[in-house]
Amino acid sequence: MDPATSRPAVVIDNGTGYSKMGFSGNVEPCFIVPTVVAANESFLNQPRISTKSSNWLSQHSAGVMADLDFFIGHEAFSRSRSSNTYNLSYPIKHGQVVNWDAMERFWQQCIFNYLRCDPEDHYFLLTESPHTPPESRECTGEIMFETFNVPGLYIAVQPVLALAAGYTTSKCEMTGVVVDVGDGGTHVVPVAEGYVIGSSIRSIPIAGKDVTLFVQQLMRERGEKIPPEDSFEVARKVKENYCYTCSDIVEAFNKHDKEPSKYVKQWRGTKPKTGAPYTCDVGYERFLGPEVFFNPEIYRMDFTTPLPDVIDKCIQSAPIDTRRALYKNIVLSGGSTMFKGFHKRLKRDLKKIVDVRVLASEARLGGEIKAKPVEVNVASHPIQRYAVWFGGSILASTPEFFEACHTKAEYEEYGASICRTNPVFKGMY
Amino acid sequence: MVYHSSFVDEEGITKACGCPLLPLKSHVKGPAPASDQDATDIVDEAITFFRANVFFRNFDIKSPADKLLIYLTFYINSALKRLEGCRTLAEGTKAIISLGLEKVPVPGESGFPFPGLFILPQSSKEAELFRNYLQQIREETSGRLLGVAYRPNGTPNKWWLAFAKRKFMNIIDQRTV
Repeated sequence: MDPATSRPAVVIDNGTGYSKMGFSGNVEPCFIVPTVVAANESFLNQPRISTKSSNWLSQHSAGVMADLDFFIGHEAFSRSRSSNTYNLSYPIKHGQVVNWDAMERFWQQCIFNYLRCDPEDHYFLLTESPHTPPESRECTGEIMFETFNVPGLYIAVQPVLALAAGYTTSKCEMTGVVVDVGDGGTHVVPVAEGYVIGSSIRSIPIAGKDVTLFVQQLMRERGEKIPPEDSFEVARKVKENYCYTCSDIVEAFNKHDKEPSKYVKQWRGTKPKTGAPYTCDVGYERFLGPEVFFNPEIYRMDFTTPLPDVIDKCIQSAPIDTRRALYKNIVLSGGSTMFKGFHKRLKRDLKKIVDVRVLASEARLGGEIKAKPVEVNVASHPIQRYAVWFGGSILASTPEFFEACHTKAEYEEYGASICRTNPVFKGMY
Repeated sequence: MVYHSSFVDEEGITKACGCPLLPLKSHVKGPAPASDQDATDIVDEAITFFRANVFFRNFDIKSPADKLLIYLTFYINSALKRLEGCRTLAEGTKAIISLGLEKVPVPGESGFPFPGLFILPQSSKEAELFRNYLQQIREETSGRLLGVAYRPNGTPNKWWLAFAKRKFMNIIDQRTV
């Protein structure tokens, strides 16, 4: 009897901005940390000749221990701010792992320092972006089986997990469109009867990081007094705390002008070098930030399709018999969908597009045949921010999970290439 | 999506260069017909829509009044650039007056910012008419802009002056370069 199957599996969702980790069967992740590694690289390129012998000794010992000297997540930010010896690196960009060494260190800290579990005793569920190449899965498998010696591994696609998260909160809907707006990229993935319709997946290059950069740009243009080395972090916190989705830009501007005391907020921070406090005003970037999803050309010239249009095109490219069901179940996931009013605005804009099309087709038929109106539903629920993690937690707590995993025995027999394929959860529901 | 002008109806309005000379609530002398003091005119619309429209680059023209809206949006942007260094209302007024004294180009002349937008004038009389209209509408816009860009006590309103740094459609006004 394999002891690992009696223990809860470890679920880690690695995103570009944040990583969510915890044990399966729980409602929320134990830790949500930024996906960043601060490594001590000051001893990497030191010349051999040094000035004093004591200096040489400390350099030598640090060189041996240097690769253990690293931090991840919030600790990484505070360490890199306080001393110059740590360099920050972001191992995941746009949903793909670009720096495998940093990723391995990240996982090491996750397992041993944060979750404090023995990887040999638990099955692992990791997640990946829809467009991940199979080589990337092989690398993940290699690291997990070789370095950490896990008994079993399953690499899941994030949108399917997000859809699974909705299973318990409402009816068992296996058909829907997942709009996953993360920090690195946005994906619109249609899933029909549990199977991802791969050819209809649409990605757009606007995501949480772009909203943060836009907010940063607006605050800089206005000349707000923010220390430059902090401005990205401040913009990010402003975005998370104060941004909301408006229904109309001009109306929102007018509201801000008429009642500044109600709409203009204050941000208080401390300068990192001197510790002196400062305040700055937060005004129209509150609603212009999330507006980037609905009018991308205010932020960048090369991409101008608004998010509702992309969702509409995605559904129209799916098989015709699934389309009504897809419109009825649009599921949001990802931190950047947490803006107040996001789902209402998305539903309103998408309904407009759909209604125009239905009217046009009715006009073409001479008004004789009235089409049944298409119902558009955008589901919003409180676990949106880590819907993917939650879906993983649910799936990993079912008994079929252990059979769907790639086991260590298979890895030793066939090699890392077993990780290339992902079995779909058949016969679960 | 961009905000469009509501002045779609063009009955009885004189046109120059393919653009209707819309009525203004103006105290300034010029060829524009007078408008009711309570109604919104095209200048009010331009100022209200400015902070939204300045971000966009692609405009679909629903009516010829939209062309005037685009021109005014560009003018408000250049006026704000002039106001950038001015700390008080008095300095700002001086800067705006000097902007108003400069020669106003019409479509076809080299300084006009939107080469393809308006139809070229058919005669020099039409060109002069349009030039005078533009002069009048610019002065009127400057006056109302100073009203919003500066607070009642004379200090600059940063929520407006921040847009001086925006480049509307990436067009650089040749004269301020």
